Amino acid sequence: MRLIVDAVITGVLSGGIYVLMALGLTLIFGVMDIINVGQGALVILGAYLSYLLQQHLHIDLFVGLILTMPVMFALGVGLEAAFIRPIRWERTTLSILVTFAIALLIQGALSLTFSTNLVQMHAWYVSHSLKIGSFYLAWVYIFDFLLSVVLVAALYVVLNHTKFGAGLRASMQNRTAAQLIGIDVERVSAITFGIGVALAAAGGMAYGATSAFNPNSQYDLISRLLVIIILGGMGSLRGAVVAGFGMLIVEDVTSVVWSPVWASTVFYMLLVVVLVLRPQGLFGRLESRRQ
Amino acid sequence: MTMILSMRNVTAGYDGSDVLKSLDLDVEEGSITCIVGPNGAGKSTVLKVISGLLRARRGELRYRDRPMTGLNPRRALALGIVQVPQNHSLFPAMTVRENVRLGAFTVSDPAIVDARMREVEAMFPIVRERASERAGNLSGGQQRLVEFARCLMLDPELILLDEPSMGLDPRTLKSVFETVARMHEGGRTILLVEQNVRAGLGIATHGIVLESGRVRLEGSHDEVLGNPQIGRLYLGTTVSEA
Repeated sequence: MRLIVDAVITGVLSGGIYVLMALGLTLIFGVMDIINVGQGALVILGAYLSYLLQQHLHIDLFVGLILTMPVMFALGVGLEAAFIRPIRWERTTLSILVTFAIALLIQGALSLTFSTNLVQMHAWYVSHSLKIGSFYLAWVYIFDFLLSVVLVAALYVVLNHTKFGAGLRASMQNRTAAQLIGIDVERVSAITFGIGVALAAAGGMAYGATSAFNPNSQYDLISRLLVIIILGGMGSLRGAVVAGFGMLIVEDVTSVVWSPVWASTVFYMLLVVVLVLRPQGLFGRLESRRQ
Repeated sequence: MTMILSMRNVTAGYDGSDVLKSLDLDVEEGSITCIVGPNGAGKSTVLKVISGLLRARRGELRYRDRPMTGLNPRRALALGIVQVPQNHSLFPAMTVRENVRLGAFTVSDPAIVDARMREVEAMFPIVRERASERAGNLSGGQQRLVEFARCLMLDPELILLDEPSMGLDPRTLKSVFETVARMHEGGRTILLVEQNVRAGLGIATHGIVLESGRVRLEGSHDEVLGNPQIGRLYLGTTVSEA
């Protein structure tokens, strides 16, 4: 029983990292109707940026986000303007190809710059733990979780209590109607893409602080992120949060109850069952957006 | 007779094909002008061009005798033109109140938005009665009324309505068209596209028959309804054949 509780706590804490990464992906899909398969590569890029700041400027990983998130936001806005906005037809399909090309470019550039050797980030909170009763929790998981809580709360405030947020939610629900009431949907799309990529920067740092990574890690990441947003319901922010935590809890509990070998398999089986019963995912709508 | 809107030689369409072909069309200020015609005639395309959703390939649009250059939806709103599109156009996961307030998205002064909100609530009690309810939970007719309420938040001069009768039962349709007439009584000009020819022309002061992207017939309410060709059109034949 103690192991299961331990696994649930670890699942919740590490689930926050995936929630951050998946929120960016589902937000972009919700507003722009595109699937950014480059999100995994952008996460790894974010991890390398944090690694660079730490190695060369001795900037703490979490403090470094003050620099990396705005930089990645600007990169996201630029990518949207250069590669996504020009797609006028077959937007959803072509965006998969375009963002896959972006992922390959980022992966290639990172491989040339850093090689494909695994990188492990170091900080005191990575190697020290907090003892609560008989549990030991690595500080990095606690800080990552707090970071995800703060960023998800900030995103919630922006979405629900600002004019931009109202415009973004309106664009997610009905793009044409949003245009007709004067919302600059293209501007909203660019900023949304920027927010999604900035969240990838935060997720990348959090991921890099808990796992060794190299440029090829993007493939594992993007498959897991896509699973999260499909399970949660494409375009559903609440779904991404629930599925992100759910995935990690199921995997961690399966690891201790059964075997780590079956951890991902059990989760994917659960995904299939949910999709058979609810093809739109946990919180998705079959016809959530009208054009 | 003052024209609030004129289209001259306008050509527009989608994916390389023209739907409107050198269209000439006038909308008289203070009128309810109803555009009717068969499917594919270009009725909705006319509204999309005027509201800036679709850019005309050729031709000129004039609003109050001034050219409408660089037209996009925001510019159209600034001129006082709003469109209520075909099908459900509310944001279903937002409340009725949020939906209506978003009608004034381009207004930066909250006091003006609050004042407009009070006016709209007075005209459409449903906005106050169902304020906290999700718009997606309303019936089709109720959603239409909330769409109308939202479009009035900018106190527009010209309202474009794209098939407001779509999907409504006869009783609800009657209520919706009465509301259209009330919006007109406020001094606004209404350009209406309707498949339900009888209902659309019934409340219109002017009628326009559109066919294959061109105006085939236009005139006052009496002229259009009194024209024997309209009867033939009801039966599915073209005006030119009649």
